[in-house]
Amino acid sequence: MQDNNKVKEYDALVIGAGIAGGEAALNLANVGNRVLLIDKDLTVGGKMIMLSKVFPTLDCSACITTPKVSEIARHSLITTLTSTEASDIVQKDNGTFEALITTQPRYVHIEDCTGCQLCEEACPVNVEDEYQYGLVGRKAAFIPFSIASPRAAAIDIENCTLCGACERACPTNCIDFTQTVEKFMIECKTVIVATGFQLFDPTLIPRYGYGRFKNVITSMQMERQLAPTRPFNTVLRPSDGKIPDNIAYVLCTGSRDKTVGTPICSQVCCMYSTKQAQLLMGALPMADITLYFLHIRAFGKGFNEFYAQAQSMGVEYVKGKVAKITEKEDGNLILRYEDISTGKVTETEHDMVVLSVGILPNQGITGLFKNRKLELDQFNYISQSNPLESPATTSIKGVFVAGVASAPMDIPDSILSAGAASSEAANYIRQLSVKQVEV
Amino acid sequence: MNVGNKKTVLKMKEKRQVSQAVKDELKLFTKTKKAILKALKDNKKNVPELSEELNMPTDRVLYFLMSLQKYGFVQVDGIDDMDEYFYYKLKDNG
Ligand SMILES: Cc1cc2nc3c(=O)[nH]c(=O)nc-3n(C[C@H](O)[C@H](O)[C@H](O)COP(=O)(O)OP(=O)(O)OC[C@H]3O[C@@H](n4cnc5c(N)ncnc54)[C@H](O)[C@@H]3O)c2cc1C
Ligand code: SF4
Ligand code: SF4
Repeated sequence: MQDNNKVKEYDALVIGAGIAGGEAALNLANVGNRVLLIDKDLTVGGKMIMLSKVFPTLDCSACITTPKVSEIARHSLITTLTSTEASDIVQKDNGTFEALITTQPRYVHIEDCTGCQLCEEACPVNVEDEYQYGLVGRKAAFIPFSIASPRAAAIDIENCTLCGACERACPTNCIDFTQTVEKFMIECKTVIVATGFQLFDPTLIPRYGYGRFKNVITSMQMERQLAPTRPFNTVLRPSDGKIPDNIAYVLCTGSRDKTVGTPICSQVCCMYSTKQAQLLMGALPMADITLYFLHIRAFGKGFNEFYAQAQSMGVEYVKGKVAKITEKEDGNLILRYEDISTGKVTETEHDMVVLSVGILPNQGITGLFKNRKLELDQFNYISQSNPLESPATTSIKGVFVAGVASAPMDIPDSILSAGAASSEAANYIRQLSVKQVEV
Repeated sequence: MNVGNKKTVLKMKEKRQVSQAVKDELKLFTKTKKAILKALKDNKKNVPELSEELNMPTDRVLYFLMSLQKYGFVQVDGIDDMDEYFYYKLKDNG
């Protein structure tokens, strides 16, 4: 529930409203705790709400996320604030916390916006849509995407021409350019950090040509192309709108690669690439799909079967290290790679290349805490101080970690991790009430 | 909250200047939108055909064309014989 009369006391502050933070907030609220759930984005749902389908079941990602997201929105004990961040978090001697909450202006009063999109229609501006990873445009007055929550418009002030057309078109008069940054203090008993991840920036590997060659895209861009709310009418090459018929995947782009500072496996790329390959076989039945890999890591329940299923559908797996990608005049791409089975350097031509980009920890989380140190591990994820017995515990008593903020993991593991964090947090709240906490 | 006033943008105008880059982008989009809609007025076309007619690179044509599809101005109208490029036309009742 979006709540404008902000209550300043909560049992729990949950930072990040992806699947992990959302799940943790619901778990805590369902046992009677008042939760403030904040996200810096315009919508809750994190990365999962943007995915097409999920491995290994191929369930529609939006269909799983949407009921969760609406349960969060309707829950009487959860206050959700988007465009919002926390800072200056201080732990008091009694083990509770206070935090400064800052909400950036959206220039739309969410509670009155009906999502009618008349402002969008009226807005003359077209800028790259970040929710479609730049493949298509959006207006400066815009609803992030159809299943965003809240499904309310926002004004992108940086790209707004201040023409006022949106405001004139809005039937409920909820657009308000006088909105300013709001800051307020809260008190809470526990904090869950569920700040998730960012994607590896493939321009850091210039030899793959991302950003220069239009038909080299990231796996997240392909994820959007395969989603029901896709940017194009079907899967198309960004260079010219041609239907691709020979697509290559380069696995481990920015994972297990010390030269770019990410020595560890991202855990999800082998399986999401295998998923996308299967979805592409369905969307483009005539297309050849080849995955260039170093090792396939299919360790989870049903993953190896999922991998075998892709192979039986005709997806080709080539054990090869891609050294370089070059572009031909027609937009096709030449992959130069070392075929590991023969040791030979080989070249193949594809009309589109997907870089299976890895997962990186979000930066700056430690800086949110003022008088305690939230420690990071050697890979810059939030350190789990007792990973075997109590995986959600951090270096600060009363602060717990959920989801990819602690390590790369898939959705089921993020949900499990949120379960651990919320039960540890509920326990901490109970201990505070009987004054069993020493900080 | 109903702000009950359709002119709060005037307050923002006192505080903010619209950058030249934003003005240029608006000009480009308005011009391109007009040109694409004009080019599709009588005939369906694919991206390479539009690119030639508009004298604009194919990737930029696709970006603007797909934006116009999203905003409800154009729609798909079949595919070429080689199954390579879709044709696009003005949206029926658009
Ligand atoms: C291309 C791709 C495909 C994938 N496909 C699958 C799949 O098929 N199946 C599967 O199981 N997994 C898949 N995954 C993995 C899946 O996306 C993650 O496991 C899951 O999204 C993790 O959720 P999370 O809540 O931990 O993080 P996120 O989804 O990253 O959510 C974190 C949230 O925190 C917010 N946030 C960050 N910092 C702050 C801050 N300082 N203050 C406030 N808010 C903040 C962010 O805005 C975001 O909303 C895929 C990943 C990728 C990249
Ligand atoms: S005021 Fe800004 S957001 Fe509103 S219609 Fe004009 S350009 Fe778009
Ligand atoms: S801001 Fe107004 S015009 Fe825009 S979607 Fe909301 S109610 Fe409709």
